[in-house]
Amino acid sequence: MKRVVLTSQLSPDEPRASHDRRSSRSVIAACVLAVTALVSLFAAIVTGPADISPMEVMGSLWGHLTGGIPAMSPLRDAIIWEGRVPRVLTAAAVGGGLALCGAVMQALTRNPLADPYLLGLSSGASLGAVIVIVLGVSVALPVAAFMGALLALLFTMTLAKGAGALSQASVVLAGLAVSSAFAALTSLVIFWSATGDSYREILSWLLGSLGGADWSDVAVAMVAVVVCAVPLLGGSRSLDGLLLGDTAAEALGIAVVRTRSMLFACVALLTGALVAVSGSIGFIGLIVPHAVRLVAGGTHRALLPLSFLVGSIFLVWADTLARVMFEPRELPVGIVTSLIGGPIFAVLLLRMSRGRRASGF
Amino acid sequence: MSLFRRPTAYVAATIVLFLSGCSAATVAQSPSNPAAPAAVEMDNCGTMISFAAPPERIVAVKSSSLELLLALGASEKIVGAAFLDGPLPDSLADQGAKVPILSERLPSREAVLEVEPDLIFAGWESNFSSDGVGERTSLEKLGVGTYVAPAACTALGYKPDPLTFDHVFDGFVELGEIIDEGQAAKALVDEQAAELAAIVPDKRNLSTVWYSSGKDQPFVGAGLGAPEMIMSAAGLNNVFADVDDSWASTSWESVAQANPDVIVLVDATWNTAAAKVDLLQANPVTAHLDAVRMNRYIIVDFPATEAGVRSVDAVTAIVDQLSSL
Repeated sequence: MKRVVLTSQLSPDEPRASHDRRSSRSVIAACVLAVTALVSLFAAIVTGPADISPMEVMGSLWGHLTGGIPAMSPLRDAIIWEGRVPRVLTAAAVGGGLALCGAVMQALTRNPLADPYLLGLSSGASLGAVIVIVLGVSVALPVAAFMGALLALLFTMTLAKGAGALSQASVVLAGLAVSSAFAALTSLVIFWSATGDSYREILSWLLGSLGGADWSDVAVAMVAVVVCAVPLLGGSRSLDGLLLGDTAAEALGIAVVRTRSMLFACVALLTGALVAVSGSIGFIGLIVPHAVRLVAGGTHRALLPLSFLVGSIFLVWADTLARVMFEPRELPVGIVTSLIGGPIFAVLLLRMSRGRRASGF
Repeated sequence: MSLFRRPTAYVAATIVLFLSGCSAATVAQSPSNPAAPAAVEMDNCGTMISFAAPPERIVAVKSSSLELLLALGASEKIVGAAFLDGPLPDSLADQGAKVPILSERLPSREAVLEVEPDLIFAGWESNFSSDGVGERTSLEKLGVGTYVAPAACTALGYKPDPLTFDHVFDGFVELGEIIDEGQAAKALVDEQAAELAAIVPDKRNLSTVWYSSGKDQPFVGAGLGAPEMIMSAAGLNNVFADVDDSWASTSWESVAQANPDVIVLVDATWNTAAAKVDLLQANPVTAHLDAVRMNRYIIVDFPATEAGVRSVDAVTAIVDQLSSL
């Protein structure tokens, strides 16, 4: 049951011809997606509630990238260079990072429903953020969110270890317990102290928003992605092995406990950093890896980078919709991702069950 | 009545009520006894309310409610206030000094019922909820009247579209009728209408954004509510006047696109105007706004930003501050 969605997973002894076909298909997909991502970035930067022409955007970008001064009013330039550019880049990093985390979590826990928030990370980060927003504790919000996420991770790991050596089931259950406890604490803080209309800010944060993204957020998200993506991508062969079960993985020469702990820690760090930047944006980590598996199969060497690209593109467009759909009003982007993500997930679910029946699973 | 001053008797009576399923009115001999003709009956935000006799024990929820009651000279009838947005204005501080504060936050139904009110006057319709002071229908069944200022109605057909000072003043008169302070209400309306008429709006046609809260997504005054009513009376052009709502979440980019001449900052105890100035200066986009670069801010107290007795004062305060810009 646990592995149903992952049955397209490439097993090590799959015939070579199929392997080559799959990998060449993945390379083509990666090229197409990379180009799409670049086009999406530019399109998103050109789009927004303010009337700014693509030429002006080019002028501003050219000016800043070549160290000159763009020939436009400082305010219009700031809308582009301090507003849209960091926001779109943050969306790309966060979307890609969440999809990457989702793909890794699904393999680590051998659970198709796993997502980056599974270990209670988002609840922990939310608690940290809400404490800052509501109680006015003088810590930077991202720092507090990050600390909250780390604390939640620590609890989850300790609990899971106590319950049975980081096996996937105990991690999921421990995450659930920690998640509930932190969510309750968050509600308590809000309920206890929400004054006047301060709940608005909390709500928008809890739903996920990129409205406040500036260059420091870009830096946090990008650094986190780079720092964590290296070990995660490096672990793709181990992930392939872990999917076959702990015994099989050990037979393949993988140090199961050490690898799993290290990869969990990477995912936690990355998720914590991303939640700190954008709040908890739902559905990306869950659906993107499933969608990519349908096309590229299950080898993590292909799945992880492709998931990153698709996640980036998805969040860049979702955030663009959030910005302009009801202009000059703005929606929290988490609403958009869930609105789009829900139906997509339903379609994926139906396609997968059909595929499973056909292949006899 | 003396029976109901004792909590145990009250609880017992409540249990009997729930067990028998009969209406509170018959047991409690409350003013809403259907046998007696209702002296005042009206449709309040879609809920029918009636009062056989003027309420004598009133609970005010939110500052706008308490301030209106005090302005009508009803301080003796207030048995408690809760969920206030900030301190009372100087003009009402003396009258309000003895009002017991039931809760700093939104109190529960039981906490309000404990003081045995015959009217709960709330600033927001949403205050009447099962996790707040109680649903309106359930309170009415217990013989406790409920009232929301008509300016704060949210249901379609009741929500003012757009809100005007006439709605606000009509609300004064309506409450005066309910609590038998009709004379005071009329005097208050006359006084405030005269004050409003005497205000000379700013003539420079300045554009503005009413910045209420929000870091990532500024929450601003839109086209239909108290902010727009106050701004237009002061002669300001609200950048978001076309948005069909009282308030709206917007984006810094939309604010930057409009580049308003002045920014109205709402000063709340939990989110001060000074904190908003810091935020506007720190945000790399808004730092370039003309209003931010030249420190062209107008500051309004949060309790004055909800339709009520302080709305005219808010206009005066804005015009005064504008004249020194």
